[in-house]
Amino acid sequence: MAANQSASGSSDSESPSLFDSSSQPAPNSRSFNRSVRVAEKERRKNEAEDPFVLALKFFSDVEAGTPAFGNDNLERNLVLVERVAYSKGLSPEAISVMLEFAMSLRMGTSPCVRVLKCLVPASVVPQEAVVRAMVWLGVCKIPASTQVLFIKWVLTIFDMIDAKDQLRAIYGFIFSFVTEEYLCPFVCHLLYLLTRKESVRHFRVQKLLELQSKLGRQPFLLHLLSLYKVFCPEYVTLSIPSRMKSGFRNHNSPWKSALIAVQRRNGSQIASSASLPSTIKDKTSSRKRKHYHLELPVLCSQVNKQAQTEPSLGRKLVPLVQLSSFTQLLDHMHRIELPAQMGSLLGSSLALQYLDCVQDEFALLRLNFWLGYALHEEFLFCGDGRASNSEEALQFLDKLLSTQHFLQESFSSTEVFLYKFLSVWDGSLLRPQILSLLSNIPVVPSSQIGRLLFEPLMQLFFTSSLFFKCGLIECLNSMLLKWLVWHSVYALEDDLDISLNSHTSVNMTLSGFKDSVMELVHFVGRLASVGLQLEGGHSLLLSFILDFYETGCDTFLKYGLPLIVMFPPGVFFPALLSPDPVSVDRLAYIMYSLPLGGAVICGYF
Amino acid sequence: MGKRDVQICFRFGSGTPDMERHRSSGARTPLNSALVQRRSRSKSYRLSYRSCLGAASRLGLTPALTARRLNTSRRAPKSHNISEKVSVEQLALLLKKEWKLSYVTPLYRFRHTQMRGYSRQLSAFIAAEKHQGLAVDVEAAQGSFRASFSVIQGMTETDDDAETILIQIHSKSSFPGQDEPQRALWSGWLTCVYGNPEYLNSLPKDFTCLPLFCSSGSEVLTNAVKSWFQLTFDCCFGPLEISHTSLQWLVALWTNCHAECNIQHLKMIWSVPVVPPLQITYTVDGQDAWELWNSLRRDPQEEGEGGKDEEAGSNIDIMEVERFMQGLKGHFYRHFRLDLSAGSLKQVSTALGLAKCNGRMKISNSKYMIATLTLLTECALLKMPM
Repeated sequence: MAANQSASGSSDSESPSLFDSSSQPAPNSRSFNRSVRVAEKERRKNEAEDPFVLALKFFSDVEAGTPAFGNDNLERNLVLVERVAYSKGLSPEAISVMLEFAMSLRMGTSPCVRVLKCLVPASVVPQEAVVRAMVWLGVCKIPASTQVLFIKWVLTIFDMIDAKDQLRAIYGFIFSFVTEEYLCPFVCHLLYLLTRKESVRHFRVQKLLELQSKLGRQPFLLHLLSLYKVFCPEYVTLSIPSRMKSGFRNHNSPWKSALIAVQRRNGSQIASSASLPSTIKDKTSSRKRKHYHLELPVLCSQVNKQAQTEPSLGRKLVPLVQLSSFTQLLDHMHRIELPAQMGSLLGSSLALQYLDCVQDEFALLRLNFWLGYALHEEFLFCGDGRASNSEEALQFLDKLLSTQHFLQESFSSTEVFLYKFLSVWDGSLLRPQILSLLSNIPVVPSSQIGRLLFEPLMQLFFTSSLFFKCGLIECLNSMLLKWLVWHSVYALEDDLDISLNSHTSVNMTLSGFKDSVMELVHFVGRLASVGLQLEGGHSLLLSFILDFYETGCDTFLKYGLPLIVMFPPGVFFPALLSPDPVSVDRLAYIMYSLPLGGAVICGYF
Repeated sequence: MGKRDVQICFRFGSGTPDMERHRSSGARTPLNSALVQRRSRSKSYRLSYRSCLGAASRLGLTPALTARRLNTSRRAPKSHNISEKVSVEQLALLLKKEWKLSYVTPLYRFRHTQMRGYSRQLSAFIAAEKHQGLAVDVEAAQGSFRASFSVIQGMTETDDDAETILIQIHSKSSFPGQDEPQRALWSGWLTCVYGNPEYLNSLPKDFTCLPLFCSSGSEVLTNAVKSWFQLTFDCCFGPLEISHTSLQWLVALWTNCHAECNIQHLKMIWSVPVVPPLQITYTVDGQDAWELWNSLRRDPQEEGEGGKDEEAGSNIDIMEVERFMQGLKGHFYRHFRLDLSAGSLKQVSTALGLAKCNGRMKISNSKYMIATLTLLTECALLKMPM
């Protein structure tokens, strides 16, 4: 009571300050204060009389050694607690009290199981309670099945533990339980959830390998060791057989239904720890690929670590394979370790996000080597009698295209490959993909563009079908568009020259860029003129050609390149005189959009 | 209907009338079909996109990666007493064994100083692969295989080339204390001999270029070793075939060595595309081949300045090789009315070594090893994707 008085007294002294700024007259505020005080007292009295609170008090105050058998008090309080637990779940304080009671074995071992089974948390579980319980696990003589039940409970509510740093601090202590055979699978699972790079030590690896030689090939050991391998591949190496299921088994059966009911009632969605992101990549392709160069390498952490100049930094690097969500990627952005094979980054969208930020030249060179190797092996070095692997090649190219689309630029090995491939391509193998890849290549210096690009394309153009011609014009159109966009984004506004990084041997100035664009436009003009003659002014071809010139007429206005793109006569006249009204309309629109449209018309007539 | 095998051995009569006959017969035979050389485009210059942001550019294609084709002229192989520089035991491991060839893209962060560490890691890896689902301690020596990495010093001539690496896998014998040296279950070596210096210098420092990989042993172990390399150094392995042109070069180069070292015979296996497939083994006596070769080489030089014999003799040109092959084919045509240009050369062998077009080779004599390896290194470098 005295405590209550002082509390209300302090609240009394506080309340004038709260209501100082209010415009209420003084007598009303005093009555208000009195009502607040009365409400407080009521609440405290209710709490003190609340049977649940009394039950908790019982469990926290009970003396060690009190008999459990035939204890009505115990029975009554336990039933009460169970009722609360199954209805709306236990609060964090209740969990601590009950857990402490159960694991300390104050009333013997019989109530322990029952208590553990009713420990359904409502919101969070305080980690101090779990740590204390782990300590009791080591100290007391808890029967084996109860120990197992306890660990299962920890695994079930693992995601609801508010913080894990204390648990990680006692990693070594938890690790010591691994030697108990009945506890081993569950402790391995728990260790799997708690392991970080600092916890992987060689003596722990050796201990696990000893266990493996004793117990044989157990999946739980293998999973834990594979996690160790991710962090420190220099200590252990293994290969997972493809038939093995990935991930640990679920152990949450005694609590699952109760948890779901409580969570549904509380309206909170707490993801259960049942589904773990497994670090083992499952082999989706059951049939053995004969040509494995198209297979993306598996994402795994680097084995060949160099001695870091700062050892502390080396320990803190997070292997990329460990990250499973974008937020995690952002958290560890500054200390991500690149994987062993750079080609594996093309496999997951998360890794692609990171690839976009990678500045390391060597890493990109590795990626380019692998990519170039895959493309060369598949398309350039293939034997004559080989059955075409077109299904896998198609998927590979699609993936490459989507990657390039995501990164908004192409890889240099793709460019090298395309220049070689164009001279041997027949124009129909994987045509959409090859043309899309072609449209992604960056600006080629005008001295090289003729030999590298135009000659093979000309040969292909004049010996191919109408649809190829249309496809090629479209490809060159999108190439022009990308070059223009590149220019408009990267040209410095106040400089007349786009002088590039001195790493490259060619300085591409604005005039050089204009030369390349002009070469491209002239080339398309020549192709278009002769193509239209060959195809007799076909309207489909004409429409694609007019698309190109529509892109071209925006060079100055939209992209800031001081260049005018005009039709050659071989395009202008067929479009003007075509029997197809759409072409004439588009021609008129383009001429209207051209800055000097009038001058163009006069020039032709 | 099976394959037909025809073996033909020739012994040319000595003396000049035969030589003239060869030359004139060379004129009468149908023209050789144009040798298809792989024409590669030279690489363009890659521009950096991130220039304005000041960030590092992606690897620009440097001008070093220029038009790559097989060299049209080569130095004539000199007798190379390689056993002066390389230890005899290591040489014995390389000779007289048939190797399967592959090309390798440059290795990232490969250190010649960490051979012991690599041996341990490879042993653990092979043990893990063999026992699927069993974790293996890397630092302890476990498992039934023991891998060993060693550096073969002295095979490289220039500073650009990286030192040759030899990998051997022995099985651990269960009876300790055996005195006899164990034969390796599997062996392989990575080498680069007189690689193109421009290409080698264009690679960044962290990359080691050892483009030629030779392996001998079971396929399972070869794949395991390749997987380990791929995981550890982020490189790629691909099959290396010896092209028609390269085989012809070997014919010429090996024949050229006859003056100093008896090649005993020049044996070529051609396959002709008829039904049923016909395989022709064409063996020429070493001395005769040498005389033919010599006559083809000396004539154009006699027309030129006579004083520069020493220098001019050290370079062999592709034209001379072609003339030599023409001469051999012409002789065959004279006798059998079968033009070997319709077929393809599949295998070449002399006392110095053996080379097959599907990518297998054997070196039998260490003296001219360097020339052979130079040619093969060049073939491997041609297959580099960038």
